[in-house]
Amino acid sequence: MSIIECRGLTKVYGKTKALNNLSFTIEENKITGLIGRNGAGKTTLLKIIAGFLRETSGEIEIFSEKPFNNLIVSANLIYINDQMKFPTALTLKEVLHVCASFYEKWDHDLASRLFDYFSLQPTQHYNDLSKGMKSTFNMIVGLSARCALTMFDEPTTGMDAAVRKDFYRALLKDYIAYPRTILLSSHHLDEIEDLLEDILLIKEGKELLHIQIEDLKEWAIGVQGLTTTVKEWTNNREVIHSNGIGLDRMYAVIKNDFSESEKQQGKAAGLAITPVSSSDVCVYLTRKTKGGIDDVFIKD
Amino acid sequence: MILNMDGTRPIYLQISEWLEREILNGNFESDQKIYSQYQLAEMFTINPATAAKGLTLLVEENILFKKRGLGMFVTSNAKEIIMNKRKNQTLKRLVLEIVTEAKRLNVSKEELIQMINDVNTGEAGE
Repeated sequence: MSIIECRGLTKVYGKTKALNNLSFTIEENKITGLIGRNGAGKTTLLKIIAGFLRETSGEIEIFSEKPFNNLIVSANLIYINDQMKFPTALTLKEVLHVCASFYEKWDHDLASRLFDYFSLQPTQHYNDLSKGMKSTFNMIVGLSARCALTMFDEPTTGMDAAVRKDFYRALLKDYIAYPRTILLSSHHLDEIEDLLEDILLIKEGKELLHIQIEDLKEWAIGVQGLTTTVKEWTNNREVIHSNGIGLDRMYAVIKNDFSESEKQQGKAAGLAITPVSSSDVCVYLTRKTKGGIDDVFIKD
Repeated sequence: MILNMDGTRPIYLQISEWLEREILNGNFESDQKIYSQYQLAEMFTINPATAAKGLTLLVEENILFKKRGLGMFVTSNAKEIIMNKRKNQTLKRLVLEIVTEAKRLNVSKEELIQMINDVNTGEAGE
């Protein structure tokens, strides 16, 4: 069963197209990573799914319902970001009690245990928390709500390394015990990739890739060797990244559609063929301009 | 961590290799039930679907078999299959790498064989 279905989804702010004809489907009970550069449209997409914003054109269905102004959708999903607003007059413990009344499947026992584990103080107020503690509290709300669709938008902002690690493990353990559809957006793909089943990579409001994370690891290969050999070998292929090394050598990243025998030939010709990590593939694919940072420093 | 999380080697392959090692080490005998995808996911903090992919790979290679509703079990000749696979694939690949490197360094065949013998006797003496 599909939980999210978009067809030609477009959102325009003034003259900018934040989302540009986006189409994809997300199946039930999968953890999907939403990956893209700053300004790629991740937050806009999540806010439309959550029903906070209305699309300009195209179609979107969440649980087969249009999300904007929809009670069924808002009762069954939770959207966590770093701009959460909680009533300022209430203490943290009171906020948790209020949350319990909003979400049918809320697990108050889990919320209390996480609350104690992360050393939050019951009488504190949300607005007095540090950035990292706010994120920690948001995460507790997001996990304990146990919504059929749970979305975390950059959930680890400000968290220290230990809390981030704990969060990922808590998310996975609770997901195994209570499977649900999870969307996780992050700049740090290398940190979350082991948790993911699928990845949705967007660039300038368009879908670039929507594949299994394990396939992404084999999506591209890196070749290193004499510039002439590399150029010959990658001729007519789409090179997604390249840089020179020393005087006559270069490194190039290309889509991995070579056969085993082609790779053997390449190795025999003196090329070193290496895997390319998923986060590197994403960086290369979502680059806004051709070339890289090195080109900025070339004066001609 | 037992897995190499540098992001370049698919996790499901690492999972299947780890399970193979567990079987070779005798931690799992023939007809014994092996970890479920959820146990593996928790052990290594990975997505259960990835763990399942690692298990499926071993089913395809007849190292594990599925019992409906009960889980995955080790086949009777699992050890043999793993050892043959390692010999024909991993060891052959390593030998190829050694020979290529030796050629690059102008190390003669005799010299290379002598080096292998030295390592062998060194280990036997320990």
